[in-house]
Amino acid sequence: MPDKVGRHTAKLVWPILVTALLLVGWELAVRMLGIRSIILPPPSAVFEVMVLRYDLLLTHLWPSLYLTVLGFLLSVVGGVFVAVLITYSAIVREGFYPVIVVSQVIPKISIAPLFIVWFGTGTMSSLLLAFLVAFFPMTINAAMGFESIDEEIHRMARTFMGSRWQIFWKIRMPNALPYIFGGMKISITLAIIGVIVSEFVASQEGIGYLIKLAGGLLDTPLMMAAIAALSISGLALYAIIASAESWAVYWQPPSDAVGAGGG
Amino acid sequence: MRSGAASQGLEPAPARAGNDGPRATTVRIASLQKTYGDLEAIREMSFDVGDGEFLSVLGPSGCGKSTLLMMIAGLIAPTAGEIRVKDTKVAGPRRDVGVVFQSPVLLPWRTVLQNVLLPIELMRLPQPQYESRAMELLRMAKIDEFTALLPRQLSGGMRQRVAICRALVHDPSILLMDEPFSALDAITRDEMGVELLRIWQANRKTVIFVTHSIREAAFLSDRVLVMGRRPATIIDDLAIDLPRPRHIAMTEDEAFNRLVRHLRKAIEASHAG
Repeated sequence: MPDKVGRHTAKLVWPILVTALLLVGWELAVRMLGIRSIILPPPSAVFEVMVLRYDLLLTHLWPSLYLTVLGFLLSVVGGVFVAVLITYSAIVREGFYPVIVVSQVIPKISIAPLFIVWFGTGTMSSLLLAFLVAFFPMTINAAMGFESIDEEIHRMARTFMGSRWQIFWKIRMPNALPYIFGGMKISITLAIIGVIVSEFVASQEGIGYLIKLAGGLLDTPLMMAAIAALSISGLALYAIIASAESWAVYWQPPSDAVGAGGG
Repeated sequence: MRSGAASQGLEPAPARAGNDGPRATTVRIASLQKTYGDLEAIREMSFDVGDGEFLSVLGPSGCGKSTLLMMIAGLIAPTAGEIRVKDTKVAGPRRDVGVVFQSPVLLPWRTVLQNVLLPIELMRLPQPQYESRAMELLRMAKIDEFTALLPRQLSGGMRQRVAICRALVHDPSILLMDEPFSALDAITRDEMGVELLRIWQANRKTVIFVTHSIREAAFLSDRVLVMGRRPATIIDDLAIDLPRPRHIAMTEDEAFNRLVRHLRKAIEASHAG
């Protein structure tokens, strides 16, 4: 894949330049205008905190990432499973699917306090909230993928005597893969939000807890360092999924989405 | 190469008589009717297709000729009448039939060779045995250099060649073709016709070829059935007595043009009536 890497790097040059320019502008503005660090610390101060207090950041980052990934994986398995039911069961498709879609109207984040009441302030609440917010886009995307097979392809498979089972594994599943990866990219970012919000509401650890704690102490540089660490982790998770996608969905010409919706 | 047909317990197809010896009937359509609710798609249609015969069904777009083909393929059930293939009633898709559709319908995640082998997988036939047959077909269709490519890397004509190989890989005795070249440009289309005849001549299948192109029907076939507008019936049954193998140059001949004129008149007459 060296040529691929090269192509990606070439595409990344401009965004990186722009980011660097913004950071330099920010640094200069803070210094020249004499803005207090408690309001807006310069990037250098944030970076300094990240280096000096990296163990504190990592201590809180790990549980959050762990719950994010676990909630995300559960949502992938659960979402694909429910999508299969939607595809093959008329009862689920006509009875449950509309309910699932309409329930999307509920801002799921607002359920976080309710989860605390039900499941306590521990990791269970965070995990379930991550799962809940990540589950819907997974289900809807996977169901769309299973449904979207061409009527002609279906007919072709039937003339060659394909069974339902064969048609599922050899045709519907690969056909749904691009959709499933699309759902994963949305779900991973939502899972992060779910965990962080849950940690905001009630938790004794995690990067969300650290952000809130630093806010209470008016330690803005620490707060921004935690946000930066979180963003970098989110970007990394997104990148892992995107590269898994380009490996698994090898038949599609590479898309131009560089980090779209990441972090 | 013929192992497939034998393993399916079917009568081995007798080699086609040199010229116009009497042929056994392979497909028999008897009093076939198809209605969709109030819409009558096919009204009372009967004809036989001989073993090894290249039969074209010619008709205007939307006259129900695709419906007819899908019924022979066992994908659509007739409203009345019956279709018999080798003396058994068609009740669903069958192993001894191969279908080529209007568009190639290849699976984009499979290579050319994997696409050709799809029917073998779906029918659970021994993979390695048919792989050499697939390669042979690809060689015959002149796409054996591209076996490892994905469909999106091929041109439209090449994709349709892959679809033809796929329809033949399990060695069916009947090949159904539903306007297979209609999406191609005129030059590629002529070329594909010649290629198809070459492959057909080497494989000796019974072919039912649906088309709306008069020239194509006349050039390829042993016999042309003309279908009128909906509700469809057969309005003409014309033997094409041009010698084989056929060459594109023949389409300049008076004999060919006389046949084309005859078919055109038959179709125009059906419009007027």
